[in-house]
Amino acid sequence: MKAFQQNLKKLEAADTQVLGVSMDSPFANKAFADQIGVTFPLLSDWGGDVTRQYGVYVDKYKAARRINFLIGKDGKILEEQIDRDAIDPKKIVDACERKKLSR
Amino acid sequence: MKRRGVSTMLGVWLLTAAIVCPQIKAQGNKPEPPMKLKVGDVAPDFKLQYFDGSDEKDVSLSQYRGKSNVVLAFYIFAFTGG
Repeated sequence: MKAFQQNLKKLEAADTQVLGVSMDSPFANKAFADQIGVTFPLLSDWGGDVTRQYGVYVDKYKAARRINFLIGKDGKILEEQIDRDAIDPKKIVDACERKKLSR
Repeated sequence: MKRRGVSTMLGVWLLTAAIVCPQIKAQGNKPEPPMKLKVGDVAPDFKLQYFDGSDEKDVSLSQYRGKSNVVLAFYIFAFTGG
């Protein structure tokens, strides 16, 4: 989440809204956001319905996998970053900037 | 008799190791499950909430349709790294 915060200006300049999602409560997420200085929404998927719908629920941890989706304005998935690859969002930031240039 | 006991024990150990070790290795190398949603698929719409400090706010994916790209960053738990 911190890595997205560091790239937030670039992403916003490329018309991109960042949304974090976890199965924590809204209040835990707000406390987490404040602690690490995240200013974009951290959404609460309490119960995990959306996490399951996106196919990223892990039974063993009763939580989501670390996955980043980049979704275009048409609602289609443009990029995916999975597990360890999702820690550094560079691929997504680059894709957003490329898209901005090609507009 | 005692020596035979020792070698039997050793045999049992080796046999157990031979059975268990490849399983441990296989678990470590287990490929990640494939993604259900692939690049090019339509992302399912959702409505979720976040707390902005005073109220719970709704956010849906469809509110960004035609307006902006969306990064949806799933993370494991609050207060963990990354």
